[in-house]
Amino acid sequence: MSDPPPVTSSQAVSKHALNHSILRHSLDVQGASMEGETVLLDLNTGRYYTLNYLGSVIWELCTGRNTISDIHAVLCDRFEVAPERALDDLVALISELVHERLLHRETR
Amino acid sequence: MAMTVLNKPMCAYLFSIYGMRLKYVTGSPVLAAPVNELLKHFRQDSVEESTELTLCFKDVQDRADIPLRLSPSARQLSVGTGAAVRDQPETGLPYEVIQDEGRLIADFHNLGVLLMDGVQGRAEGYLINPETMPANLIEYLFHLALIELLRHRGLYPIHAAALEKHGRGILISGNSGRGKTTSSLSLLRSGYRYLSDDHPLIRDAGTHVDVLPFPTKINVTRATIELFPELADVPDHVPHPGSRKWSFHAEDRYPTLIGERCRPAMVLFPHVADVPHSHLELLSKRRALELLLPQTLLVFDPEVARREFEVLAKLARQVDCYRLHFGRDIFDLPNLLTPLLEQG
Repeated sequence: MSDPPPVTSSQAVSKHALNHSILRHSLDVQGASMEGETVLLDLNTGRYYTLNYLGSVIWELCTGRNTISDIHAVLCDRFEVAPERALDDLVALISELVHERLLHRETR
Repeated sequence: MAMTVLNKPMCAYLFSIYGMRLKYVTGSPVLAAPVNELLKHFRQDSVEESTELTLCFKDVQDRADIPLRLSPSARQLSVGTGAAVRDQPETGLPYEVIQDEGRLIADFHNLGVLLMDGVQGRAEGYLINPETMPANLIEYLFHLALIELLRHRGLYPIHAAALEKHGRGILISGNSGRGKTTSSLSLLRSGYRYLSDDHPLIRDAGTHVDVLPFPTKINVTRATIELFPELADVPDHVPHPGSRKWSFHAEDRYPTLIGERCRPAMVLFPHVADVPHSHLELLSKRRALELLLPQTLLVFDPEVARREFEVLAKLARQVDCYRLHFGRDIFDLPNLLTPLLEQG
């Protein structure tokens, strides 16, 4: 699979990228779910990160099977949020997690 | 010069740490005494089976005497002064940690080098002129090598004081100067049992996490001694010119026994508050894990770190975690904590 171009904002993401980018956890990350929040440890760097409830839901959905569109649909279904806002938050978080090498993004 | 080192007669000292048989080999009385003091509660007089862990420490006169050869694949993991090895003053030393073909090398430059192979359960220490070092520095360097070996066998150190009452444990975690020792002394004098001053071990027991005693001398400052009349005549020693330290065994000063392995029920993160009465602030599990990680986890071997992280997360889920705003009522701390511990 080829490395897709970076995703930085929802406006910059094509429909194709939303429908074909799948996300999976890095094998070098260990996560712990703590009462709905998540702590992630990067086993390469020793750095750790925390995700709030929404971030934790997104993290759990990055299973290597869901596209960005799939995850967006779940968020819109589960939370009372405007679809545009949900997509903005989703893309921003994914971008950060990919940048920190905690998530891998692939195109299928 | 290396021949001089090898020709010294070697002595082996045997210990058992929670089922882990350990042999410490050294030819130097200066290197033997602090380790025997550190591990005095784990001493075994005879060895019937093979040992799982072997630590061998040697004294050398010069850095060139240390048989340290790095392979081309050696890579530096961390470098700095003290911070990666907790906040003990004796660890404010320049160091470099290197990974080299399964060995972890902690290089303390003009003090010496530790070579640790966690998988094989072996560590070697080469200390340069240890007769010039304070005993607590030798103890610290040995302890560093030991815990790296223990980590590979599922025993993880945690930077905390630990006490036990009626089979339930309290961990008091945090850096120096935040009231960790003072709060632990307040509990000891009220009858809590002593587990450790600074580094108990934790272990995954399946359904829960256990805390295991690692009883050592309790180190206190002059300011702490002044708070507790029973410590007035604790002897001091001078590990470095210009610095004084006071230390004592808990069982010598308090009507306490060394506690036993138990299930921790509470973790406290104290800080000294300029208020008359102490109070507790309940922390979320996520916040508790965030606070525990820097007190415990060092990521050298990713798989060991992965297991250790899981155990810490399990511990944070199992216990109630509080920020202790530690006021001036230091002797009343048991009244605040014991009802919560008994209810939990």
